[in-house]
Amino acid sequence: MSVQAGNLKKGEFIIYQNDIWQVQKTEFYSPGKGAALMRSKLKNVTSGKTIDYAFKSNESVETVEVTSIEMQYLYKDTENAFFMDQQTYNQYEVPLVMVGDIIHYFKEGETMYIYVHNDKPISVRPPVSVTLKVVESEDAARGDTVGGAKKEAILETGAKVMVPLFIKQNELITVNPETGEYTGRANSG
Amino acid sequence: MQIQTHIDHLDRYKTYRRMTDAIHSFLNANHYLELDLPILSPALIPEGYLEVFETEFRYMQKREKLYLTPSPELFIKRLLSEGVGDCYYMGKSFRNSEPTSDKHFSEFTMLELYKVGENYTYMKRVVSDMMRTITQELYGTDWLTFQGKKVNLADAEELTVAEAFERYASIKPSDLFDPDAFIARAREKGYATEGFSYEDVWSQLYTQEIESHLGTSGKPTFLFDYPLVFAALSKPNPDGKTAQRFEFYIEGIELGNCYSELVDHELQSKRLQGEQEERKRSGKIEHPLDYGFLDALHKGLPTSTGIAIGLERMGMVWSDAQSLSDIMLLTIQE
Repeated sequence: MSVQAGNLKKGEFIIYQNDIWQVQKTEFYSPGKGAALMRSKLKNVTSGKTIDYAFKSNESVETVEVTSIEMQYLYKDTENAFFMDQQTYNQYEVPLVMVGDIIHYFKEGETMYIYVHNDKPISVRPPVSVTLKVVESEDAARGDTVGGAKKEAILETGAKVMVPLFIKQNELITVNPETGEYTGRANSG
Repeated sequence: MQIQTHIDHLDRYKTYRRMTDAIHSFLNANHYLELDLPILSPALIPEGYLEVFETEFRYMQKREKLYLTPSPELFIKRLLSEGVGDCYYMGKSFRNSEPTSDKHFSEFTMLELYKVGENYTYMKRVVSDMMRTITQELYGTDWLTFQGKKVNLADAEELTVAEAFERYASIKPSDLFDPDAFIARAREKGYATEGFSYEDVWSQLYTQEIESHLGTSGKPTFLFDYPLVFAALSKPNPDGKTAQRFEFYIEGIELGNCYSELVDHELQSKRLQGEQEERKRSGKIEHPLDYGFLDALHKGLPTSTGIAIGLERMGMVWSDAQSLSDIMLLTIQE
C-alpha cells in the first residue's frame, strides 16, 4: 500500500531506501518555493538509527502492513527486551534500540502490543498510560503544596519522574511512558 | 480546531511584545510610515505555492467573494506607486492548507517593510540594524541565546544560493541552474524525481540539505540570489539565472524574505500569468487577479526593496521558545 507523504502519521511503518522505518515525527512545511514538504523523523527498525527526511508532500510513500499482537513483557538484558505471545506461548525479542526509552516504565508481567511484520517483532506500541508504584519520594515540606510545585519520585521500575508534592511513597500513579510525565493518581484497589 | 488559552506563556508573550515595540520604535526612528490596511480583499496577486482563505460578503441578494490576504503586498504596492514613500505594515496575514506546526500558524503576524530608491543589499543592512537594535533593547547586548546556542546579531553570514548548494549539497552551479542536470543529480542522490518538476525537487533538496545549516554558525545567515523560477515579484539579476531575492535564517529557521522589487510591468504580468497557471495546475482556489495592482505597476512602481518577516517566528527566537505557540496566550489549533 502507498500513501501521499502529506498523510503520513506518527507510528506508521514505511519503506524508504529498501529498509523499513517507523515514522517518529512529522511536520508539514511549505517553504513557498516549489513543493510543500513533509519533514519526518524516521527510525530504522533494524538498527534503531534515526534520520530526518523531507518528503515532497505529494510524493508516494510505500507503507508496511504490521499486525499488533498482545504480549506479556518478560524481562530485558543489555540488548533486547523479551515478550511472550499469550496465545501461542512463543517468545519474541525486540532490540532495546527499537523499544526506546519507554522500556524504563515497563514492569515485568505487564501486557502490551508488539508490532509484528513477517512474523518478526519490530517494535512496541507505547501504552497510553502505565500504572506504577512510587517506591521512594521524600515527604513534601508543610505549606509547600500550592501551585505547580513538583518533586522527584523513584518508581518500582527504577524510573524517575516528577510528581506533585502530595504524592506519597507506596502510592500508585499513572505515567505517560512516551513523555515520562506523571498523569495522575491511579485508582487504588 | 479548538480555542486554547495559555496563560502560562505570559512571560514569553511579554518578551514578544517588547520585541514588537522595539521594532515599531526602530522603524519610526528611521522614518518608515506605519500603514493600516485591510485584511479582506476582492482580488489577490496570484501566488503559485500558497493557498488562500475564501469568504463571502452578503447583503440582500448580493454575493461577493472576498479573500483573506496572504500578504499585504497588493495594497502597499498601490500606495508606493502613488508616492507613499518608505512604509511598513505590521498585522495579520493568512495562509491556508498548511497545518499548524512548531513554526507555522495559518494566521500569523507579518511585518512587511518597504524602502524606496534602494535594492535588496540595502534592506539586508536595515534588517541587520533592526535585529541588533531590538536585541540591545531586550537584553542590553548584541547577543541572544536560542535553544542553548549564542547568536551574535552584530555579525552575519552572507551566502549565495549557488554557494550554499555547492557547500552543503555538492551541487555545482552549472547543475543547479540546469533543470535536467539538477534533476539527474537529485536522482543520483536517491530523491524521487519521476513526475516532479524542477521546482518541486529543488524545494525538497533545499529543505533536506541546505536549510538546516543556515544561521547555525553563531550569527544569522542571509542567503542571496534564488534561481529565476523563484523570482516571484523580484528583479532579475544581470546573470540571467538568478533573482534579487534573499531570505534570512537563525538556527535553520527562516525569518524573512526580501526582494529588490520588480518594476517592469510587462514582465510582472507575464510572471503573474505563470503563477495563476501553477495555481490552476495544483487545484488551488481560483480567485480574481488584482488588475488594480497591475495598473499600479503600469503607473510606475518606484525602484524599491521590500521584505516580509514572520514576527511570531522572530518572537520565538528572541524569547528562546521551542515553538510559536509558546509565545502565544491564545491559539486555535487542532
